[in-house]
Amino acid sequence: MNIQQKISPDVRDDVWIPSACTICYGGCSILAHRVDGTVIKIEGNPKSPNGAGKLCAKGVSGIMILYDPNRVSTPLRRTNPNKGIGIDPGWKPISWEEALSETIAKLGKIRQEDPRQLVLQITTTLTPSSLSIFFPFGWAFGTPNMWVAGGGVHCGNGAHAGGGVTHASWSIVPDFHHCNYAIYFGASKGHGAGHAATSNITLAADARDRGMRMVVVDPMCNFAAAKANEWVPIRVGTDAALALAMCNCLVNELGIVDREYLRDRTNGIYLTRQDGKYARDEATGEPLVWSEKIGGPVTHNAPDAKGAALEGTFQVNGEECQTGFTRLKEHLKKYSPEYAEQITRISAATIRRLSKEFGEAARVGSTIVIDGKTLPYRPASAIFFRGAQGHKNSMYNCFAIDLLNHIVGAADVVGGTLGFNPVCHGHPDTQRPRYSPRPDRDGLMAVGTWMLPHVPYPPADPRKPDSIGFIEMFPLSHVSPLMASADQEHWWQQFDLKYRPKMMINYGANSIMSVGNKETVAESLKRYDFIVSFDLFLNEFSDFADIIFPDASYLEVLDPRPNFPFIFNHPAGMGEWGWPIRQPVVEPTGERRSARDVLLEIAYELGLGAEMNLAVNSFYGLDGEQMLDPAQRYDVEQIADHELRHKFGNDRGLEWFKENGVITWPKKVEEVYWRTFVDVRIPIYHEYLIELGEKTAGLCQQGNMSFDMRYYGPLPEWLPCPSHEVADSEFDLYAFYYRDAIQANSFTMQNPWIDETARMDPYSYRIAINGATARKKGLHDNEVVWIESVKGRRVAGRIKVTEAIHPEAIGIAACAGHWSKHQPIAKGKGVFFNELLEVDFEHTSPVNLNMDLCSKVKVYRHEDQSKASFD
Amino acid sequence: MRLGMVIDLRRCVGCYGCQHVCKAENGTPPGMFFGRVIKREEGSYPTTTQLFLPVLCNHCTDAPCVDVCPTEASHYAEHGIVDIDHDKCVGCHSCMVACPYTNRYFNDERRNYFGDSGPTPYEEARVARHPEGVVMKCNFCRPRLAEGKLPACVDNCASNARTFGDLDDPNSEVSRLIKERGGFTLHPEAGTSPNVYYLST
Repeated sequence: MNIQQKISPDVRDDVWIPSACTICYGGCSILAHRVDGTVIKIEGNPKSPNGAGKLCAKGVSGIMILYDPNRVSTPLRRTNPNKGIGIDPGWKPISWEEALSETIAKLGKIRQEDPRQLVLQITTTLTPSSLSIFFPFGWAFGTPNMWVAGGGVHCGNGAHAGGGVTHASWSIVPDFHHCNYAIYFGASKGHGAGHAATSNITLAADARDRGMRMVVVDPMCNFAAAKANEWVPIRVGTDAALALAMCNCLVNELGIVDREYLRDRTNGIYLTRQDGKYARDEATGEPLVWSEKIGGPVTHNAPDAKGAALEGTFQVNGEECQTGFTRLKEHLKKYSPEYAEQITRISAATIRRLSKEFGEAARVGSTIVIDGKTLPYRPASAIFFRGAQGHKNSMYNCFAIDLLNHIVGAADVVGGTLGFNPVCHGHPDTQRPRYSPRPDRDGLMAVGTWMLPHVPYPPADPRKPDSIGFIEMFPLSHVSPLMASADQEHWWQQFDLKYRPKMMINYGANSIMSVGNKETVAESLKRYDFIVSFDLFLNEFSDFADIIFPDASYLEVLDPRPNFPFIFNHPAGMGEWGWPIRQPVVEPTGERRSARDVLLEIAYELGLGAEMNLAVNSFYGLDGEQMLDPAQRYDVEQIADHELRHKFGNDRGLEWFKENGVITWPKKVEEVYWRTFVDVRIPIYHEYLIELGEKTAGLCQQGNMSFDMRYYGPLPEWLPCPSHEVADSEFDLYAFYYRDAIQANSFTMQNPWIDETARMDPYSYRIAINGATARKKGLHDNEVVWIESVKGRRVAGRIKVTEAIHPEAIGIAACAGHWSKHQPIAKGKGVFFNELLEVDFEHTSPVNLNMDLCSKVKVYRHEDQSKASFD
Repeated sequence: MRLGMVIDLRRCVGCYGCQHVCKAENGTPPGMFFGRVIKREEGSYPTTTQLFLPVLCNHCTDAPCVDVCPTEASHYAEHGIVDIDHDKCVGCHSCMVACPYTNRYFNDERRNYFGDSGPTPYEEARVARHPEGVVMKCNFCRPRLAEGKLPACVDNCASNARTFGDLDDPNSEVSRLIKERGGFTLHPEAGTSPNVYYLST
């Protein structure tokens, strides 16, 4: 099975090579069948838990990416100095030597002037691979300006921060092995897309077969909702109102509360003062709790804190203080089912019924024995993802939904909501990789491992921005739309940013399509003097690049850790750990080179060898004999070898992994159901937000940036998106986009197998509109319509009149509607939803910088029904 | 032995994995799908759902395609598999008309997925071997079965919706599922005795 096997005329080349898919960030393990130098089949790798031998439609279609004749094959230099949407750059093939020397010269100058002028842009599709080389490069170079174009600000500033604060993980999922009642809010886990996509399909199907009841709250009945026992159509962007009303029912109407969990594992017992902040011990500064044992306040970590009061009002230092849980209980009262009905359009009776079903399914107080250990058994789970979190109220939407789990104690216990692998004790031979959440500031949980350098809790102190995205001012964010916003220059001036971005290195992102409306992003790109881009295809973004590096595809490159950190895309729940590698199945053709190799070479040529090696050491956590020597020059293979030996021992270096593809070992109960074994609390009362808000407000004031303290309250609220406040009744529908299981971002429309299926699918390339709504507007199935936002931006497409969508909603799949001539399969297919999105601070969450992804629109018949481009 | 398949519509998530793995395995040209997924809406708002219905050749025991074939190209192969002998097929389309399931395709001329750019190396290796002017369809991946593997769509199904086995054996998993879950076939009124069964949602 060795790729190094020589291909000679006498010996037929016929090998199955283990590697990892990279068509989406799920990164499932694959076996690629190569015969006489040609990849003829891609299957799942049954030896690896990442997919366990299965692949989705995208995964088996990678052959058509590898062999796409439209791929860029040589370095290119632009000859037309004018940049703009649709302006031909006048690409001229150049040599690698020319491309690299020009790039290195520009980088050298930038670094001398001010390294912060360099921006690194990556894509979610390539997340694990790109982080592990582009982030170290950024650190070595000295720029804080790195972002995932469209990632984070669309899919996860709330979902991932929320997952991090309360589950120590990037994402959450029901414990499919044991869950009996799962309620999904704008999520499709287990139905074809997302982190650990393929494994989750199997797990979710098993769970449904076993009898897990699945309720899906979503404006559209597709994917998960289509498989659910019940679809609950909700008005777009109002998830928090429903979740909070359900919490209210549980706590104040039904009294279904896991008091033991809340007392022992959350800050529900912490005493809070009139101003909402913790009552603290004068000497230590630690938050106080009310000890029932001594009848007085003690610090949360004192021996007498055991069994502290969960509820009540107590006199502390002459001030009336309430426990966090008491405050929550009071707070929830305003979210009556009747109030939520007005906001969500879901009847109060349904809200009460769902609450009761969820609460009863959780079996508060019950236990189960797994592997000889008695554990809490809470077989109910509430999860969120992109749909619920992609709003201005992103943070609270996620906190509110997750609160359902914490009220009934169904968090990281058997049957409840699990973070993706927050605890790992490591391989039995090496105890690596090893990480676990731990108590941090005020005894609350900090993650054991994370994707990015800054962790969700404790949030860093906000400070005056040094980066162009202002992440420092909003430490709960991961990435920032200010990287490409309409108002960026205004805010840079207001906050006296001492430099401007001049150069960008892009790795596979198509930010002109992946962020928001194209004009705004185009203007932000025109501000750069020089853009270099690693790409498989020329695309809409390339129109703004100066140099193109032809990248090798995922079947042609090496990456030692496509599924680590395990919190990202490794399947959760019991089963096996699996650490596969990605390795070349064929050598790159043409003049293509792996971006990882090229970027490393650039770092060394820039004289940043020592910095780069240290940054790689830091990123991979290399120490001992596997630490890279700052004085030496390494290639990507050598670094991979160091990383693998570091994690799995000297006899399991790169050669071992090339041969075996993946290493696996069994998961332990203590890892999967860690909540019982790790002594740490999580916040149900987000006290830290108050101080964070005060500090951020102070900073905002310095730059005259409006600030809304409502987003920084310690308890989640339903707060409307700008779309909910549009007064003009002509704009009567909420447009949103959703992830299509056969597409990954904007990238897969160029794959002709996927495109063919998308054309056969009733929804993929069409605009979903409710039947009654269409009739009211006199619109008919398959007509071409305009969808126009309140800002006058519009997109055209054919409608699919459907019963499977909320009457107030317009649903559009994926990130389609390409216009680049360089992607002839993708061109003109589907609808470019993001055109309807504003990219500015007004449409951004002031707490985590998530963009608001719903747009109030009007829909009307297109004047030209014959447009072939919509077929 | 009579080979057959059971597809559990409760488990299927409509991910199109089968449609694509079939294409990759068989190297079918554009527009040709030995296996595919049909999506259909049911009910009216708000009591709506979507049905995902994977379809393929039903390998009927009383196959009209075999009956009408004038050259005996369409035939019963081992274990009841209905296959087409391309050396005998004259491309008369009779079988396509006779099949009530529209799961047969005519390979009229060589077509490539990237059109004028010519065939990819994959298409050279896997698509070019198909003769032109013949009818093509699913044969339960006979070459894979010969290697002791399952049909590609069964092997790759992430939701494990598909079970493959001997319908003549009352103790086989397929027989058990059909019995316990009330397996049904498509268009029973056509009297074709299909060997692909479905389990309802």
